[in-house]
Amino acid sequence: MEEFFNNIKESFKETTLEFETINIQIDSTKWIEEHKKLRDEFNLKFFSWLSAIDWDNNVSVGEAPKESVSPSFEIITCLSDLENTNLVTVSTSISKVEPNISSLIDVYAGANWHEREAYEMFGINFENHPNLEKLYLPDGYEGNPMLKSFELISREVKPWPGDVDVEGMPEESESDE
Amino acid sequence: MVNALDPQNMNSFSEASVSVEIETEDMTLNIGPQHPSTHGVLRLVAKVDGEKVHDVKPVLGYMHRGYEKLAEVRSYPQITTLVNRIDWVAGFSNEIPFIAGAERLMEIEVPERAKHIRLILTEMARISSHFVFIGAYALEVGALTPIFYAMEDRERVLDLIESVTGGRFHPNFNRIGGVKPAAGAGPTSKKNIQDLPAGFYRDTKVAMEKVIQAADQFQNLIGGNEVFKKRTKNVGVLTAETAEAYGVSGPILRASGVKSDLRTQTDYLPYDQFDYDIPVGENGDCYDRWDVRVKEMVESAKIVLQAIDSMPSGPLQAKVPKVIKVPQGRTYVRAENPKGEMGYYIVSDGGLGPYRLKVRTASFSNVSILPIMLEGALLPDLIAIMGSLDFVLGDVDR
Repeated sequence: MEEFFNNIKESFKETTLEFETINIQIDSTKWIEEHKKLRDEFNLKFFSWLSAIDWDNNVSVGEAPKESVSPSFEIITCLSDLENTNLVTVSTSISKVEPNISSLIDVYAGANWHEREAYEMFGINFENHPNLEKLYLPDGYEGNPMLKSFELISREVKPWPGDVDVEGMPEESESDE
Repeated sequence: MVNALDPQNMNSFSEASVSVEIETEDMTLNIGPQHPSTHGVLRLVAKVDGEKVHDVKPVLGYMHRGYEKLAEVRSYPQITTLVNRIDWVAGFSNEIPFIAGAERLMEIEVPERAKHIRLILTEMARISSHFVFIGAYALEVGALTPIFYAMEDRERVLDLIESVTGGRFHPNFNRIGGVKPAAGAGPTSKKNIQDLPAGFYRDTKVAMEKVIQAADQFQNLIGGNEVFKKRTKNVGVLTAETAEAYGVSGPILRASGVKSDLRTQTDYLPYDQFDYDIPVGENGDCYDRWDVRVKEMVESAKIVLQAIDSMPSGPLQAKVPKVIKVPQGRTYVRAENPKGEMGYYIVSDGGLGPYRLKVRTASFSNVSILPIMLEGALLPDLIAIMGSLDFVLGDVDR
């Protein structure tokens, strides 16, 4: 793992190792070529998943980030190697005004459904995707549910955090008796 | 003019009649969403040219419950209730990677005894999930009897899970920092923290011996059956390269000859203390996928028997704060679930709940391979191939 991390660090500048996971930050314009490099040179052939994070200060559900963030989409892929011992997450940041990024299908065929999911949930446009349609949501559904600005009806009725569920420790439950 | 009755012309005549091209028309065949072999509500739209299937489009979303969104408005202890319901055939194993992720970010060291109990119940969940597959798959390829045996055997394992957790399918038994006191354990006090119900070890030993016997019985009843072999051998062959590019994991990947098991490769539970094999297939066909799971069940039973014998004593819970707040950070914890790699990517901002929770489920990636596997397959093989992937729609749609 250490050796693998040092090898990767030579090729990718912004690399950190945390909780046995290698995190690589790359530029969104090099999205395809860097993934190709990771697949061919570093043998990361197992495509685990692709997803996105909506970074925004104005949230209508959940809690807003504690420190102010610049609004953006972070796109993350998770890769591992044949023997599944090395785990790598690759992330990039794209603008929320023009959420465009190249599709990874030519590198990892399995990215197909993951990209369709990110497309309907976040409204991210994957360029050159052969079949960028909704995956889960019905036809005619408007909006992108995973956006932080998308309201959750049940939370409108009963605001966050609802009933806080705190269970006493076994020791403490005796003193309650 | 050719005289067809002249023996000299017989050969050329019959050849000519074979090469006559009949104009065929593609028929669109709609399977599901309520088809029993879809393990939930998956819909397939397939084009059928005679007996050949091509251009299969899976239609998802009938079971989509939006867990990733719901998790953003819930606190960590509330989310365990949600994640139970992702793969309901093995509810217990869904909790493990999520809880392990939260514990990792909070830097909590879980007591050994709690880890062992988690491991035992996870393996029991795997056994019960595989029983469902073995029975249901035989049903799908035309054998009615085995599912009755499988369900009876599974019930024995579910009874054990119920005796500890209080739930057969949705245990909700894990807590951040350990496990909760068992359901059947009687009153808990400071001096007397009971965790496992009376007779649990004895009952488990009996049940696991039965599992090993049952696996042997199924190998004879189904695996040795000539009709079953004809229907599954060399059907739906999946190569390791395709499987990896699509993120196909678990028994399906192992049936294609890749010896990859997260139980040995990561340390979310103390599997390294036990002795067990990882069954691997050769051809990656439907038979291998079936065979790998039956063998895996025996290995799981062996792990449980060893864990029972080496059960450490000690507390069930680590010290955790009353209100659980996970420090800022992000982590991805993956686990080897009955259906493959399941993981949670937790992005925490130091609040009561995660800022973003990505749920990686095994069945989602496993089902995404269907259009490739069904391309050019025979129509009677469609259900056999689909069934051999052993997916659950709750695990696909989340």
